[in-house]
Amino acid sequence: MPRTTPRLPPMRNSLSTLSTRNTRNALAGLALVGLALTGCSAATDTTDDASATTEAATITLYTSEPQAKIDAVVAAFNVIEPGVTVDVFRAGTGDLTARIEAELTSGDVQADVLLAADAGTFEGYKADDLLRAYTPADVDALNPDVVDPDGFYTGTRIIPTVIAYNTTMIDTPPTSWQELTDSAYADLITMPNPDVSGAAAYNAAVWLNTPDLGDDWLSALAANNPVIAESNGPVSQAVATGTQPIGIVVDYLVRELKAAGSPIDVSYPAEGVPYVSQPVGIFASTSEQDASEAFVDFLVSAQGQELAVEQSYLPVRNDVGTPEGAPAMDDIAILSPDLQVISDSRADAVARFTELFS
Amino acid sequence: MPPAAPPGPGPVRRDRVRPTVPATTSGTAASAGPQPQRRPRWAAPWDGIDGLRAVLWLVCGAVILLPLSAIVVLAITNNHLPLLLSGDVVEAARNSVVSAATSAVGAVLVGTILALLLDRSDLRGRRTLRLLALTPLLVPPFVGAIAWIGIAGPTGPVNRAWTEWFGGPLWIIYGGDGVVFLLIVHSYPIAYIIMSAALRRVPSDLEQAARISGASLLRSVTGITLPLLRPAAFSAFTLIAVSNLADFGIPSIIGLPERFVTLSTLVYRYIQSGTVESPLEVVATIGVVLLGVAVLSMVIDLLVNRTRVELDQSSAPPQPIRLGRARAATSIVAWTLVLAITLLPLLALTSQALLPAPGVPLAWENLTLDNIVRATTAPGTIVGATNSVMLSVLAGLICTVLGLAVGTIVTRTRARSNAALATVALLPQAIPGLVIAVGWLIIAPRIGLFNTPWLILCAYVMAFVAVVVQAVAAPLRSTPMSMEEAARISGASRLRALIDISWRMAVPAAVAGGVLVALTAVRELTISVLLLSPGSQTLGVSIFSLQQAGAYNAAAALSLLVTLVGLAGLGLVDRRRH
Repeated sequence: MPRTTPRLPPMRNSLSTLSTRNTRNALAGLALVGLALTGCSAATDTTDDASATTEAATITLYTSEPQAKIDAVVAAFNVIEPGVTVDVFRAGTGDLTARIEAELTSGDVQADVLLAADAGTFEGYKADDLLRAYTPADVDALNPDVVDPDGFYTGTRIIPTVIAYNTTMIDTPPTSWQELTDSAYADLITMPNPDVSGAAAYNAAVWLNTPDLGDDWLSALAANNPVIAESNGPVSQAVATGTQPIGIVVDYLVRELKAAGSPIDVSYPAEGVPYVSQPVGIFASTSEQDASEAFVDFLVSAQGQELAVEQSYLPVRNDVGTPEGAPAMDDIAILSPDLQVISDSRADAVARFTELFS
Repeated sequence: MPPAAPPGPGPVRRDRVRPTVPATTSGTAASAGPQPQRRPRWAAPWDGIDGLRAVLWLVCGAVILLPLSAIVVLAITNNHLPLLLSGDVVEAARNSVVSAATSAVGAVLVGTILALLLDRSDLRGRRTLRLLALTPLLVPPFVGAIAWIGIAGPTGPVNRAWTEWFGGPLWIIYGGDGVVFLLIVHSYPIAYIIMSAALRRVPSDLEQAARISGASLLRSVTGITLPLLRPAAFSAFTLIAVSNLADFGIPSIIGLPERFVTLSTLVYRYIQSGTVESPLEVVATIGVVLLGVAVLSMVIDLLVNRTRVELDQSSAPPQPIRLGRARAATSIVAWTLVLAITLLPLLALTSQALLPAPGVPLAWENLTLDNIVRATTAPGTIVGATNSVMLSVLAGLICTVLGLAVGTIVTRTRARSNAALATVALLPQAIPGLVIAVGWLIIAPRIGLFNTPWLILCAYVMAFVAVVVQAVAAPLRSTPMSMEEAARISGASRLRALIDISWRMAVPAAVAGGVLVALTAVRELTISVLLLSPGSQTLGVSIFSLQQAGAYNAAAALSLLVTLVGLAGLGLVDRRRH
């Protein structure tokens, strides 16, 4: 099925900074025709030469990475692949989901690559046949937990949810999830809302499916009356300012605040941390397979992962170290539950959470 | 001694109740009220007014009804009614209606009092105070909400001090009461602008007549001025109530911690948490429910507001309300309250902007300009600022023209479709930005606007045109038709009379509304975030992105800059008016 190619709108030249998409769509349409004529021969010669430059192309990336970070990633990618232009659309995971759903209502997804959120989101798209199978070049070097066995998506960072604490107000930080249920922490805790944050919904499902924690632990935590903030951002801010000195939040935000001078630090709970892997996947409707695959390869390559570490993320490979102030990967206990169980129990987990914390 | 009252008609009320102020004119009183232009029986079946009305319906059809129908179609393709009847949605709907209605009442009250004090009284320093009072308009609600948590959060300075002195917190901002409070704070400037425009139309002759006849100052205000402001108050109430229904930033940040869920936060729950099948359809269904609420409120507005008050041009310059002995006390109270509401969050914002990271103690040696440098030099910010300024100015201009045309035609002419046109213009106010954006995304590829800035412009016009329509309609409802009638008698066509007389009278209100639209659009978030083309930005999205990336202080710096630039702009507009 050919991709929709919207007409050129009038007057767009005066605003060329805002959009180059339409011409590109037209080009993409032409490229698709060309591809159809030559058959699929183009797809076979991609893996043997990782260092060779891909032909000039433009791909559209939908991502929830912070703008500054994704800009740095694209810049580093362009050093290796100067011919590939990456147009970035950045928004929160929920907004991305909404945009993709809306695009599907009237045609194909208008992106080539998606880099966002958690495996659950990608499992959904995989089930709907929206993704194209692709296993990155260097897959053996990666943490097997983050690679989809069916090869439709690959994790690019380990983003664990940990305990953050305000160093001016808390002398001995809690070192386990269990400890947070101690009445000493009543009214001091804040955490993101699974109703609003997809990652928080995933965490709730993981906690409820972890035998050591489960419903008893979540009920006990609720008894401590935590403040349910909107998302990870406000949580880390509340902890840094001391509004709520203990927070349940993703680790890289805490490291960055600490580096900027906030009185905040992170504690990795002993029972293990739930994590999301910010997977990357290629949409089946793409007409720029080579360029998209080159971008995916770069994200999980040693170079791409070194950049991730520089950007305060835990990497998905073992040969690039960890960010300053983070433990070595082997020293972090990680909860890697069965994804199927998690996606099946997610709605119930959110409902249980809502019931407990109201 | 003021000049004698003009011979023209005094205020005339067109209702079944006895008029409070006796009409001074002849037999026209019974059918008075602005008697909208009626087409003479002998006129041709179609004239310029009909043409204009057709054009307006076409434009509104394209910009409002088309995306709305995309939403409605999405909502009804599958039956999601069972979900709607679930406890969550019903409770959220109740919370939405209650918080929107109470906050609108509050905002209109505050706006009216401010309009009286700042525009009519001899309050000290009222020009500076007027500028200050408008600042909440310039702060994005999601930024304002976070600033207020810093002030009145559970461990904010206010509650900490209070706990130290009295053993318990004073007031924790989280929850329904905090949502209503912040909605009032962020919407009273709109009420003030509408009420202040209406107040300028209240003839001071009447107040003076009352004073001369022995009424006290208070009595002349409550007996003459306030009743004459009622139509404007209703317009402001409807506009604010309907747009507060759709607010997302405040209920999500202030309401959710206490599980105060509204329909617009529920929309995000369904989209983000991935707990329902086909979230978009569910969200569209909720959008349709909100549309229903909006239609209902318009019907109520029409029913309640059938009473028309007609006001003459005043020939006497408005006499300031002399506060007399109460002047000092009133000035102190007004200044304290306005400063508390506006300056506290601004100070919180400033301190955040000048500190390197949250939680760093506020001390001279810690202050830095890094955030401001970072916020202004980030590549996205420049693009975002350019785009936002261009889009918001264009949106302001288009809304001014469209709103002026719609606002005058629905108040100055007579047609069965007027109420429908006014309702259509107001509808988008009620639905969250996300739903509006989804509607446009669905139709965008078919109309060739996908990934162009014009898509955002269309969505802005759709979302904000109601502001101008309501701002225009409010003062026009109480303006007599005598000038248009004079023009018609002198041979002008209905269209000519509308353009030369009605439009000109309404231009100041339309411009005020247009400025309001531009100020709101320049920091708009929820629509732009979905409709941007890859690689592009708007200011609201830049601020939000910085905040999401954990760069709160840079986000605060950027919001502060937007606020200050906006204030400077408002100051200039205000100065030219004087």
